[in-house]
Amino acid sequence: MSEPSFATLSEIALRTLVVSGSALVLAVALGLPLGLLLGGRRFRGRGLAVSIVNAAMGLPPVVVGLVVALLLWRSGPLGSLGLMYTPTAMVIAQVAIALPLVVGISHAAVGALGPEWRLQVRALGVRGARALWLLLRETKLGLLAAVIAALGGILSEVGAVMMVGGNLEGETRVLTTGILMYTQMGRFSEALALSALLLGITFLLAGTLTALQQAGRR
Amino acid sequence: MSGVVLEARELRVRPFGARSERRGGTESGFVLEIEALDLHAGEVLAVLGPNGAGKSTLLRALGGLEMPERGQIVAHTSGPVAMVFQRPLLLSGSVAWNVALPLWGAGMPRAERRGRAQRALAHFGLEALAERRGITLSGGEMRRVALAQAFVREPAVLLLDEPFDDLDARAQEMLSLDLRSAIGATGVAVALVTHDLRQAMLLADRIAVLLGGRLAQAGMRADVLRRPASAEVARLVGMANLLPGSVVGRDESGYAVVEIAGECRLRAASGLAVGTSVLAGIRPEHVKIDVGRGETSVLGKGLVARTLHDGVLVTAWIAWAGHELRTVAIAGRGLGHALADGDEVPFAVRPEDVHLIRR
Repeated sequence: MSEPSFATLSEIALRTLVVSGSALVLAVALGLPLGLLLGGRRFRGRGLAVSIVNAAMGLPPVVVGLVVALLLWRSGPLGSLGLMYTPTAMVIAQVAIALPLVVGISHAAVGALGPEWRLQVRALGVRGARALWLLLRETKLGLLAAVIAALGGILSEVGAVMMVGGNLEGETRVLTTGILMYTQMGRFSEALALSALLLGITFLLAGTLTALQQAGRR
Repeated sequence: MSGVVLEARELRVRPFGARSERRGGTESGFVLEIEALDLHAGEVLAVLGPNGAGKSTLLRALGGLEMPERGQIVAHTSGPVAMVFQRPLLLSGSVAWNVALPLWGAGMPRAERRGRAQRALAHFGLEALAERRGITLSGGEMRRVALAQAFVREPAVLLLDEPFDDLDARAQEMLSLDLRSAIGATGVAVALVTHDLRQAMLLADRIAVLLGGRLAQAGMRADVLRRPASAEVARLVGMANLLPGSVVGRDESGYAVVEIAGECRLRAASGLAVGTSVLAGIRPEHVKIDVGRGETSVLGKGLVARTLHDGVLVTAWIAWAGHELRTVAIAGRGLGHALADGDEVPFAVRPEDVHLIRR
């Protein structure tokens, strides 16, 4: 096998960013509203929903990968979509892993405001979009913690993307699967290079989110 | 007193989440039922009741925050209804920002917001705290910010949940004076709920007593204090002496004569028929121990069983007719100066101050 070129490395890094970025955006877009709903409203079956979310936060990624693989397998219920071993399949698996984290942590952030929050804001005559803005403003710390946790879960994940992506060169190879492969092949310099890239991306994104989270705080 | 600004009719409210959220679960199935309650322009109505009587539920229903199962709340005003919670919520941000928050919520332009907020801050002596963070304030300061936040909307109705709770006596005094001047200046109609008679009395024109989710009595403060409708109301409004007895006749002045025990009798201004079993209710401040010459309502002599001095008042319990009558005197003045356990003192109660409650 030939030495991976700079182009190959950057292609892998770029794919990682696209796949993980899409998964993060989707997980946050789905998870934040669910978390806000779960934390701020009282409804039947809420306790059960919270238990499920909390349990799902600890789901082993390989099990998630297996379930997604079974669903997307050629003969599986969603096999006709032909998604197995595509970046889309990897996004689906990562969303499944990150979604409970986003819902669980954002739910806790909203719950910490206390049961009277909504009543008090309503009593102040603040409604609709402005009330939502107040809620986001007041729970910013927790909500961004949810995003950071999701980012960490997605970027570091290897088992599920390996199973549903297949680590195909030029198609579904991302940083984590690449590191795994090169290590197994004993090509540690390549593995280290990819690791450095992954660490750099992680620090950069987490650092940006942290700066956003801590802005304006004392 | 002018017109009704807020009225509750045939109200039935089951607080949402009553089963899951209330501690202990003893209140599961709690229902608030109010036949009729009016709030008049410019008055302060104090809703008095023990914990769990449904005070907060009533206040939230009046504020439109609890949906009644039945009945309705009609506001005869176009002005806002503002509410201050027992534990006010201050958001991250400055005090000034918090005070202006309701105006921002109503979409008011920034310049106008600032002027209104400044005036509200000034009214509650908060100018110096305007740039402080909300979360750094003391309980009393927070309460003031919450009140400024309510007044900034220039409300027609103001609903206060335990406005003096957790404040020391001096803070309560200062706050009630500021509140009274703000209420007087704006003409806002106020309904406040409290479990504490003293706190109710600091502001109330009218008192409504809430017991177990039902309105037990409502009326002008002096009427409710002097003529409670039941023994339970009597205890709640500080009519500490409730002596069981029966009406045995009428004296030459037409007063009912009530026999408490054997020869121990007292007279009451009451129309209850002879033979009626009653509780004779007497407020402690109406048991007079500084009995001068010419006093016509002397009941007899009693032994001072216990005394309690708090520096301002002396509370004494006088053994009489098998009961201990509670009385108060001002410390350091008259008999209050030297009252001690074991003293034998004459005491008097005017028939007008004895309120008979049917047993």
